[in-house]
Amino acid sequence: MTDPSAKRTKIKRELDRLAERHELSDFAAYQIGANVFRKVKNGDYKKSAEKAVKKIKETDFHKAAADFWYGKPHEERRLGDLYIKNTGLYKHREWRGVVDTMYYFNMIWLYNYAAMVMDILKSDEPLSFFKGLARYRWLGQTYLSVLHWFDRGLEGMRGPALRASAWHYRGMVNETIRNFMRMFACDTKLHGDIENHRWHKTIAHDETVNGNIFYGWRDVCDDVPLQMIPYFVSVHVNNKTVLNYIDAVQSIGLPSDPCPMCQAEAGLFVQDDYPDYSPVMVTSNEACDGSVATSILHDWFLNRPLFAMPQPMRFDDPLVQKNCAKEIEECWKFIEKELGIPFDWNQYVKYAESFNKLTEFEHEKWDVAANTDYYPVNGVAQALYRIYYSQDGDRKIWHDVDAHVRRIMNRSVMNRINSFPKTRHRVIAWSCAPLYYSNWCTWAYNCWGLNCIINMDSLMYDVMLKTDNYEDALMSLAEFNEKAPMRSMAVGGYEHIFRLWEFMDRFHCDMVVMYDQLQCKGMQGIHGMFEDEFRKRNIHAIWIPHALPDKRTVSRKEIRKIINDYMTTVMHEEPLDPTLVEFDDDESW
Amino acid sequence: MKDLVHLIDFEELLQEANNELVRKGKEDGRRALGYTCSFMPEVLLDLPGCFAVRLRAPRSTSPDIATYYMSNRTCPYGRCLLERALEGGYNFLDAEMATETCTVTTRFQEHLQMMDIIQNPDFFCEFTDIPFKRTENSVDHFTQQLQLHVLDKLQEHFGIDTSDEAILKAIDEHNEVCRLITEIGSYRKLDRPTITGYEFALINLVSLTCPKYLILDQLRDIAEQLKTREPDERLPYRVKVVLAGSENDDPYFTKLIEECGALVVADRHCYGSLPGREEIHVEEGEKPLRAIARHYLNHSECPRFMEQNVMRERKQHLADIAREYKADGIIVAQMKFCEYWSYERVIDTIVLQRDYNLPVCSIEKEYVNSNTGQLRTRFQAFVESIEFKKLQNAGKGGAS
Repeated sequence: MTDPSAKRTKIKRELDRLAERHELSDFAAYQIGANVFRKVKNGDYKKSAEKAVKKIKETDFHKAAADFWYGKPHEERRLGDLYIKNTGLYKHREWRGVVDTMYYFNMIWLYNYAAMVMDILKSDEPLSFFKGLARYRWLGQTYLSVLHWFDRGLEGMRGPALRASAWHYRGMVNETIRNFMRMFACDTKLHGDIENHRWHKTIAHDETVNGNIFYGWRDVCDDVPLQMIPYFVSVHVNNKTVLNYIDAVQSIGLPSDPCPMCQAEAGLFVQDDYPDYSPVMVTSNEACDGSVATSILHDWFLNRPLFAMPQPMRFDDPLVQKNCAKEIEECWKFIEKELGIPFDWNQYVKYAESFNKLTEFEHEKWDVAANTDYYPVNGVAQALYRIYYSQDGDRKIWHDVDAHVRRIMNRSVMNRINSFPKTRHRVIAWSCAPLYYSNWCTWAYNCWGLNCIINMDSLMYDVMLKTDNYEDALMSLAEFNEKAPMRSMAVGGYEHIFRLWEFMDRFHCDMVVMYDQLQCKGMQGIHGMFEDEFRKRNIHAIWIPHALPDKRTVSRKEIRKIINDYMTTVMHEEPLDPTLVEFDDDESW
Repeated sequence: MKDLVHLIDFEELLQEANNELVRKGKEDGRRALGYTCSFMPEVLLDLPGCFAVRLRAPRSTSPDIATYYMSNRTCPYGRCLLERALEGGYNFLDAEMATETCTVTTRFQEHLQMMDIIQNPDFFCEFTDIPFKRTENSVDHFTQQLQLHVLDKLQEHFGIDTSDEAILKAIDEHNEVCRLITEIGSYRKLDRPTITGYEFALINLVSLTCPKYLILDQLRDIAEQLKTREPDERLPYRVKVVLAGSENDDPYFTKLIEECGALVVADRHCYGSLPGREEIHVEEGEKPLRAIARHYLNHSECPRFMEQNVMRERKQHLADIAREYKADGIIVAQMKFCEYWSYERVIDTIVLQRDYNLPVCSIEKEYVNSNTGQLRTRFQAFVESIEFKKLQNAGKGGAS
């Protein structure tokens, strides 16, 4: 029988030799040694080997091959296991089967990284990107996290849904880069206070002023929404960017209760974190009292010719159209005067007609979403893309994206491919969404089978622009702008916000996710009536409280908890993927 | 100072919306027309056969049911109005002439439309679209809106005479009230004012909430008395201030400020007289309705106006009022959750001090001011800071 102490001495000597060879510290070497010793002593290696043999015997290789080739079935994916604890970041991306994983790697990950570089190189002044990166925190904090934004929104997607949704994301990235590169190319702050020729040919406007107002100058000038990229887009990509701006505006005395979107917009000015790229500014009263009030700060900080282009509140009243049209016309005169470039009717017609094609396709998409199970666009892509392109106005990239999506959608319908086969409830999302968690619907589908078919802001701007003559064009443009996000449904009479019932029927939805923007006075002011109506109509509605861009008020985790609680205690349902029920992603982008 | 006549009666009248004079007006066969916003021309609601009642919810406590409907994150004024309506406090109203001007009062008025709250079979609630500018386009638009949503509706529902002659008559009566209120208010401009801010607030509020034809005599009496009213020998205040800001229909709030040693010499807020009590002038050849529309747009100082020049002139206007009324400082009081005044208050606080050298006390208030102790501390500190500044300036002057 071997003397145990002799055995220990032998092992120690062997470890010392190993440590010397691999330059391990004594402590690390002893740790390894101790583990090896323990396992040998306990016979763990033998057990492990036995286990492995048993597993091989039990393995269904047929299924394993299928899982490898097609990806695991929904209930077996365990997507929550992919997260690094407390971060919401991935240890690695999910295996979606060979075809979809390859597609994701090549056509989404690689393609978009390359496109992000190419988009900058194709811009007027590529080098200004680096100046902007150093100057503006919103760019520095978001550019490299873009692909994680894709990952979050496209998690669990397969087949047509993966492809169509990703094209939507691609369109938004391209247009974002085009917008900020235009701003940088004109920006006096990046050009030693010099107002270059581009500066004189760029129109700055509030992000809530629609791009279609400026079609008459599109060939000779450019129009860029001032806060769209620095605040609105960046908070979707990285929810931490905006907190700084909200704090900044409160530091000059603003109470914390006004709409945090308006606060964040105003905070950009307080922090001097906006590019100075235009001789003018156009603002509007869209969508609420807060938008009106922030014009005061715009004027104060920008201190340059500013045109306020308010739209009437009671827009169902036929008498208000003339007033609205006249305001738009006054805006055009203002631009002509300040930029010295006349409005070009032909340019307007060209872009308005082109934009109508986007609206036509949107109608097709709604039709497929409402009446079939084969709509290949997930909730977050639908919501973000629709609000982005319709607010931005006609651009080539939107047509390119729509061409791809049309192809995918047609194939999906023809081949009857249900991209969301685990749908338990068709959901309509109402009111304004949490910007820091716009991808909640991706999670809700993966975890609970809640398929968000349509959302309120997708349904606005539902007006075709007329181009047969100037008067009709102006009137239809007025009507279009009256039906802007958080306006079409939220003002001008309570009957608009209660169009929810009409759209529930139209899109065959059986459940409502009711966004409860805690600082939106308009929606808070009608909260109880919704509660009454939900009860009266026996509709399942989950209220999601949030503070638009400010994740500190209600975190993503809390939002998930509210949905989880409703699904278990009221609906008595089991999660499709239990690993997604609870995880902490507070530290995530 | 010797007590003003009728003031005790006025205090009593302001204890409820459906007060003695409102009841008297109804008994006289007139229609009671409610409204909330200064953009709704009260002169049109005072046409023969009806009278205007600007809605208040005096003696409100906790608006619990309204908070269920509108949540606790909305303007308490709107909520208190809804609570009072749900309690049956506005059942005397024959109509609510609504405006979509600020979000929460809009929602309150929509609740009147949606729910069967006002127990009056004749009741209806009609919205008018209010422009955001003072341009000719806005005046045209406002005129049209008033015709369709106010005059036509009054005629249709109650057979009110809305002819130009009737409007001109209403303008005359309205102007008389404005003249009297302006005259009464002008005593606040004196070096030693002979009327307090609280007294003036009562008078102005009564003129907004009671049938005007029933208070004209009292207003005349007060104006007459003020001609000879002597100030106290020992000043009952230490500084003079302008009270600016959002909705404020609580005379006790003004009283609270005055108890802290600051005489309120000017009221530039939603329920104030600056603006609010300017006479309406009808230009030659101008239709009276258009004159009214123009008047209300040109005189409003609401932060809802978005034109660049108007946004800038508002600060100047407030500074001018402070100079005209010889105020030592300005209190900008914002109703909690009022988005317009959240931003306006920030800018006022910065600009008026920096560009006009006017001390500003910037506060956020509730509709029911139960936190009186905190406010009192703020006002006392403000008064002391102004006094301290005065002493410093006097010292500098002496040294030079």
